[in-house]
Amino acid sequence: MTPSEHALIKKDLIEIWNSKMARATLIAVPVLLVIVLPSLFLAMVRLVPMEQAEGVEKMLTLLPESASGYNLQQGIYHILTNLLFPLFYLIIPLTASAVSASCIFVGEKERSTIETLLLTPLRVRQIFRAKLSGCMFLSFLCSAISFAALTIVVSVGDVMLGLPFFVNWEWLAIIFLLAPSLTVFGVLFMVFSFNRSSNRLESFQMVAYAALPLILLYIGQFAGFFRVDAWGLTGFSIAFWLLDLILWFIDRKTFLPEKFLYQPPEV
Amino acid sequence: MDAVTAVQLSKTYGTVEAVKHLNLQIPQGGVFGLLGTDGAGKTTVVRLLSGLTKPSDGTCSILGVSPAENPVGVHQRCGVMVDSAKPYAHMTGEQNLVFFAEAAGLREKDASRRASELMKELELWDARDLPVHRYSTGMLQKLSLARALVHYPSVLLLDEPTSGLDYESAKAVNALVSRYAERSDTTVLLCTRQLYYAQHVCTDFGILREGELIASGDFQTLCETAGCRVHAEFRLKDGDTLEQFKLDETTASSLRQRGSWWRVELRDEDEMPGLLRGMMEQGHEVLEARLVQPTLEEVYQVYAGRSRKEEKQDDAV
Repeated sequence: MTPSEHALIKKDLIEIWNSKMARATLIAVPVLLVIVLPSLFLAMVRLVPMEQAEGVEKMLTLLPESASGYNLQQGIYHILTNLLFPLFYLIIPLTASAVSASCIFVGEKERSTIETLLLTPLRVRQIFRAKLSGCMFLSFLCSAISFAALTIVVSVGDVMLGLPFFVNWEWLAIIFLLAPSLTVFGVLFMVFSFNRSSNRLESFQMVAYAALPLILLYIGQFAGFFRVDAWGLTGFSIAFWLLDLILWFIDRKTFLPEKFLYQPPEV
Repeated sequence: MDAVTAVQLSKTYGTVEAVKHLNLQIPQGGVFGLLGTDGAGKTTVVRLLSGLTKPSDGTCSILGVSPAENPVGVHQRCGVMVDSAKPYAHMTGEQNLVFFAEAAGLREKDASRRASELMKELELWDARDLPVHRYSTGMLQKLSLARALVHYPSVLLLDEPTSGLDYESAKAVNALVSRYAERSDTTVLLCTRQLYYAQHVCTDFGILREGELIASGDFQTLCETAGCRVHAEFRLKDGDTLEQFKLDETTASSLRQRGSWWRVELRDEDEMPGLLRGMMEQGHEVLEARLVQPTLEEVYQVYAGRSRKEEKQDDAV
């Protein structure tokens, strides 16, 4: 990457940070999903008498064989850690990449700054590459910090409940395969929808629809319809990576300056 | 090599011909003023020359580089200021300039120094840490000009740089443009409808009307082709009149009264001493005498009027 592209990445990061909406989302969503909600669930498991709760017995049937010796509290916390918290965590890379991409792709179009950018001696391909890199960097950073925070919260619970360290093969597939593929997907899909939608809200709606399979994957498991192991998650990640590749080819071809520029109205 | 060339350059938006068969040849050095009212096609010319839009027909180049084929090459040599290219509103003025300088290839330190230099020169220094959305229209215009200048371009394309500016700010912007153009290797194409400023800043002119270049040349040439001449004006003592004053046969027009002044068109300003002497000899008491040069506005009006007349004739045919 050239110094000019680095300058563009730096500018994009400043711009995202200076946007109140983007900053609030990038802070509030991870805090809520990896600190507040897991802490509340931990408190609930510790403080609420689970024996009287309805459906608990049915919920325990979701436990794998390796967790058959867990007591009620341990079992519920194990289920939450492996079936609910991954969904919370996976929303973060998707949200972070979509928010940052909306800010620096859609935002440039909406605020008529893309034209100023196209007047610099940067090639369109360089602009595209630098913007993608900026979004992905931010999203990876956000995901990494979020995972660190989630690790602390869940580990506190594990210690309190006498459970082993929570990271297993499923979690490794999530961290190293699924979350990165979602980060890339969030950015590329935002650019894809940006080329087709008229505004930021429409682009967000399209990304939200695209996140539905992910939500169904975890809700289905939580409801006991099916169980996806580390191999299943790897397969799911490969599907997302392939989708990312297709989107990258489409975006690269459709990211044309003429589309974003002001055209005088016809008289 | 010419700084700017256009050969049969045309641009059509839908059914509207914004630029029609434009031929331009601007040598390096000096300020070329492209004059015209709103909708004359000035902005489209700048957009075509800067590669922001592609021509429907014809070609153009900046220092021999075609903006349609090599926009990056053009942007390396050329600074562009158009109203539709906005700065980043959430960033400060200084952050904007440093970014554009770095994007143009300057190192971080050089970019920072250049940004400070331009902000001081354009009196934006005190507002350097303000986010751009808090800038006034005038400040935004200055910032856009600074952005266009940030990478030391050889050619500067400016579209209405003083639009929306107060007198002082417009003066500062024009002074900067003039200073920049004083360097022999730099050329400015200044598109404006503000003829007063253009006359003071530009060395050559082109008049654009409905996408067509209807005249071009230096001020003297335009005056001659338009038939605009220097005027002599006299103010006499109260009660005195020049109605009976006999003019020399070579004088271009008869004497006319305009308020307290008597005005006559001259073929040459050398006629002035003779006229004044004649008045004194005939006993007129001249309190004030002055030569009034034609203005760009007068010249422009003549061309615009001619063009309208030709159109009417064409319609009649």
